[in-house]
Amino acid sequence: MTRYLQPLILIAPGLLIMCLAFVLPVGLMFSLGIVSEEGALNADQLTRFLSDPYYLKVGLRTLRLAFWIAAISALIGAPFAYVMARCGKRLRLVLIIAVTLPLMTSVVVRTFGWMVVLGRSGLVPDTLYALGLVRRNFSLMQTETAIVVGMVQVVLPFMVLSVLGVIQRLDPRLEEAARTMGCNFLQSLRRVVLPGAMPGILTGFLLCFSLSASYFITPTLLGGARLPTLAGSIYENATKTLDWPFAAAQSIILMCGLLLLFIPYSLAARSRHG
Amino acid sequence: MVDAIPRWLRLATAAALVLIVAYLLVPLLVVVGVSFTAADYISFPPQGLSLRWYAKVLSSGDFTDAAMTSLVLAVAITVAASALGAGAAIVLHRRVLPGSAAIGGLFLAPLILPSIILALGLLMLWSRSFGATSLLTVFIGHLVLALPYVIRTTLAVLSTSDPFLAEAARTMGAGPWKTLWRVTLPQCLPGVAAGAFFAFNISFDEAVVSLFLRSPEITTLPIRIYTTLEYSPDPSIAAVSSLMIFLTVLLILLIDRAVGLQKVTE
Repeated sequence: MTRYLQPLILIAPGLLIMCLAFVLPVGLMFSLGIVSEEGALNADQLTRFLSDPYYLKVGLRTLRLAFWIAAISALIGAPFAYVMARCGKRLRLVLIIAVTLPLMTSVVVRTFGWMVVLGRSGLVPDTLYALGLVRRNFSLMQTETAIVVGMVQVVLPFMVLSVLGVIQRLDPRLEEAARTMGCNFLQSLRRVVLPGAMPGILTGFLLCFSLSASYFITPTLLGGARLPTLAGSIYENATKTLDWPFAAAQSIILMCGLLLLFIPYSLAARSRHG
Repeated sequence: MVDAIPRWLRLATAAALVLIVAYLLVPLLVVVGVSFTAADYISFPPQGLSLRWYAKVLSSGDFTDAAMTSLVLAVAITVAASALGAGAAIVLHRRVLPGSAAIGGLFLAPLILPSIILALGLLMLWSRSFGATSLLTVFIGHLVLALPYVIRTTLAVLSTSDPFLAEAARTMGAGPWKTLWRVTLPQCLPGVAAGAFFAFNISFDEAVVSLFLRSPEITTLPIRIYTTLEYSPDPSIAAVSSLMIFLTVLLILLIDRAVGLQKVTE
């Protein structure tokens, strides 16, 4: 028993916090979404969401935005990570800073930056106006484009780091081998690097998707009240209308949606390994 | 003979790289730019140069109070998360307890679970059991979010350190606590330090949990900025935000000193 004494003392405080402040609240919240005040199983809140066209639209918008944000991040982030893994030391440091500085800056601050860039007489609308593409006083604020532009910047570092982790473990000699055996550079990317990096790209995609679907600060500030997302709606119900059972039900729907995405992925990953 | 990488591709890659880096940094640069404006309204490029908005921020009780709250909270989180996280990571690394894998998974779960779900759960649990939320509630929420980072960086350092050192100490007569204090803790210190910086950063920047638990007592800096953005921001918001960006730069330099940025991103 003395063998366990020290480990137990060391891990107990952390474990206690995790149980009381993580497992318990999350469990309670999920149960409140499907159990009525009297303690009976009750799916009223869930059906309220699923039968209201307004909320279905909110759910659909959330899915659509999360998909585009994750897809664009993958398209930009994967090549970026490849360059990062194969370039020289100095460029690499610059790129690492370009990824970590935004990552570690408060999302509230970054969203404010986008509000200035995308809003009326901001950089982007002004440039578009100067090019004669839009009318005067054009603003990108309160559009889904603004949400995508702002959110891709928020999640892109996660994609880059997730792909980078995988590419760094790929042996560069594999690419050299492919090229000495007659592949040109692009072919070696497609036949060797892309398949090798795929697990990282998939993990990054899922991570970015779930972050985008569950984030409310950037979408609320850039999209406004006209374009509510699921997470924004949860926030509204939790803090403004104080309809907690409904907020809990919406969180259940969010979690189920994300799990539907994660389960096939983890099954596929398991079958590939074992 | 191997085909060279085509020239057009090199050029296109370089151009794309510049664009992506610009895209990543634009919101930060714009905020810093706006903060130096002399005008009364938010505009970029800034009109004229002045430090008036910094003067306004530093002399307004509103912002300095919020900064104090954020700072105290972040320091408390740094201390608590490093202590609890280091302890947990050392035990998890030794794999002595039954169910170590499951416990490790539990500790890392907040990295995967959307923080909005934790935030809503904490709000509901706390209100049912204790009534109004307080700064302590936010502290607990931030602690759960910060712990996995300390555990991950500590585990990463431990996995590359010499496992036989602790054993050698034990065979030479040191007790378990002496071994922990003299051998294991010094071994994992760089990881704990990196985790501590992350913990500070997470708590200082966190807005989701704080916004859900919002009450008059809980006005951290990010909440202060968020509420101002909802209504009518003036350039003083840019000055506060810039100060937060400068602090982040400082933190990154410190992390680089402690463990090296290259390592952290691996």
